[in-house]
Amino acid sequence: MTLTRRQALVSAGAAAFASGLAKPAIAAKDPIQVGYLPALTGPSSSTGIGINRGIQLAVQELNAAGGIDGRQIELITRDTQSDPTKAVNGAAELTRGQKVSVVFGPVNSGESLAVVPLLARTNTPQVHPCWVDTLTDPKKYPMCFRNAPTNQQIGAAANRYVVNILKKKKVAVISDTTGYGTASVNAYVPMLKGMGADIVYQGNVDAANPDLKPELLRMQSAGTEAIMPWSVNAGFLSRIINTRGQMGWDVPIVGQTTLGSGQTKDLLEKLDYWAKVYPNNFRPVCYQSDGQLTDRTREFLDRLKSAKIDIGDTLLWWIAIGYDSPRMIAEAMKNAGTEPQQIVGYLNKLKGFAGVFGDISFTPEQHDGYPDEQVVMVEANSLKDGAFRLAPGYGA
Amino acid sequence: MVESIVSTGLAIGCIYALIGITYNVMYSASRVFSFTAGTLGMLGGILGALFIARMGMPVAAGFLLALAGGALFGLVTEIVAVRPVLKSLDQHLYVLSTLALALMVQQFTAIEWGTEARPFPRLIDIPRGGFDQQFWLPMLACAVVIVGLELLHRRTLVGRAFLAIAEDTYAARALGLPERRLRMASFALAGVIGALAGFAGGQMLLAFFGNAPLLTFYGFVPVALGGMGNNRGAVVAGLLLGLFQQTANFLVGGIFASVAVFTVFILVLLVRPEGLAGGVTPRRV
Repeated sequence: MTLTRRQALVSAGAAAFASGLAKPAIAAKDPIQVGYLPALTGPSSSTGIGINRGIQLAVQELNAAGGIDGRQIELITRDTQSDPTKAVNGAAELTRGQKVSVVFGPVNSGESLAVVPLLARTNTPQVHPCWVDTLTDPKKYPMCFRNAPTNQQIGAAANRYVVNILKKKKVAVISDTTGYGTASVNAYVPMLKGMGADIVYQGNVDAANPDLKPELLRMQSAGTEAIMPWSVNAGFLSRIINTRGQMGWDVPIVGQTTLGSGQTKDLLEKLDYWAKVYPNNFRPVCYQSDGQLTDRTREFLDRLKSAKIDIGDTLLWWIAIGYDSPRMIAEAMKNAGTEPQQIVGYLNKLKGFAGVFGDISFTPEQHDGYPDEQVVMVEANSLKDGAFRLAPGYGA
Repeated sequence: MVESIVSTGLAIGCIYALIGITYNVMYSASRVFSFTAGTLGMLGGILGALFIARMGMPVAAGFLLALAGGALFGLVTEIVAVRPVLKSLDQHLYVLSTLALALMVQQFTAIEWGTEARPFPRLIDIPRGGFDQQFWLPMLACAVVIVGLELLHRRTLVGRAFLAIAEDTYAARALGLPERRLRMASFALAGVIGALAGFAGGQMLLAFFGNAPLLTFYGFVPVALGGMGNNRGAVVAGLLLGLFQQTANFLVGGIFASVAVFTVFILVLLVRPEGLAGGVTPRRV
């Protein structure tokens, strides 16, 4: 039997039509691939390891509950090894090779600075928890959303605590000489002045400087009522706390979350020196003024314990961010669909997503979803089960 | 204020002086200015914290192992970064090779040890006081090294061989001295001194990978001011640097203290390019 050109074209068309019809039926059973770019190894991996515990639990729970319309969620993980270059490689592979529907991460700002523009070019929806202000911009990166605070919110919360709650007006602002440190001082000092504070000391000091006593003596003689250090360097922060302790000075120290980290604690000469040190944290994952966690967080903590997830060596808010992120993405997919535009369209109108870490809302013009009032200060020496107690002065 | 300037200034000055001596010991044996000196100081602190604080070894064992680690890195420096460039010293390739090795070790340390400063253990179990062990240990280490080097150079045959190599490599080789082995021994000795600087200063500087560039730069100043290869000059210049830096910390503070240190450094070199204690070496024609 010979096959005419017309018959061949008709057959090919029929086959294409048939395969076109069959494809959605098969695809509907396929897992939904979610790209995930954590730093699980390398120097900045402590955050990624904490976040990863929450992510894994959330995906496990979502899949156990039937996934999204019967489709399981499959996390396609690429360890960035705390290296922006590897994060970029991972992002390229997730979008071009794996063709994931959405990407969560990277979880460190340095990596996100490299990855966000790349994902924007490939029109891939992205959710990340990184703080650097420029990492969201609905015009430049319309598919990128942040479900964590910005550096502006972090600084503003510390400033509000010093000026409005502690009622301290004479403030010393000190940082190390890194980009983060100097940028923070430059951003937060005008905010403080705008709130009526008097900046009696302002300085940038090399983080490796072994003796900060001259700086603290200068602050003391200027009449400082609160010290605000901006650095992620535990050595630098512990030297400030130790020197204050050696001087027998009880001025409050208010600033970045690293003030309350285990690394800072390890470097203290005496644990007593950690009193009156108030780092940033987040109200929903703190012990409230009555000493209790909120119902939502207590329930989450119980779930972590029953799933035998270790919280002793990490922080609750890291696990909570990890737990909330896939649930927020899954909610978008369930309600709107798995196509990029559908996910972004849903997130653009997200209002009050009730996460453990916080209530997240976005608008088409605002892709920073974390509410200002949930950024608070806590007592550094109150760490228990990965959570801190609210600093004195916050109401219920 | 004066007490703080003297105790902290002299202690940190002793650490700079020891790093300066580390530079000098390597330089004397090879005419190579090895930029791994600061890395050796960083390793001394981190290895001490690793062996004593993390692995729970006794202080004496941790101390000896940290020095052994320094000696090993000194030998590796000689084999990997110095020996291959000795034939073309005039091209200053050692700047690249030793700096590259220093950066590689620094990055490796950051990855394996972490980028956070970690505590260095209290070495002697006595209560903290005004003139604490964190201040007098570097001074003691510096004194031991000065006396030890003097005894080595004056009283031992090996020490005299070191001096012969430093004075004239070709003549020493012509006399049958094993130049390569002596050079390797010098680098191992430099490794021990550099690691001792980091170990003795560990309680001040902490076990931090970022100490490497700090010590590389500030350890270089005593060498430049004291004259290359001149250990006595390095000690005097190191102590002056520590005192001046600490005074600048009190008087101007912040990053301006570093600016003041390097301004004075440049001015001194403009006036005396051979260093404060260095002499002009006549060139044979």
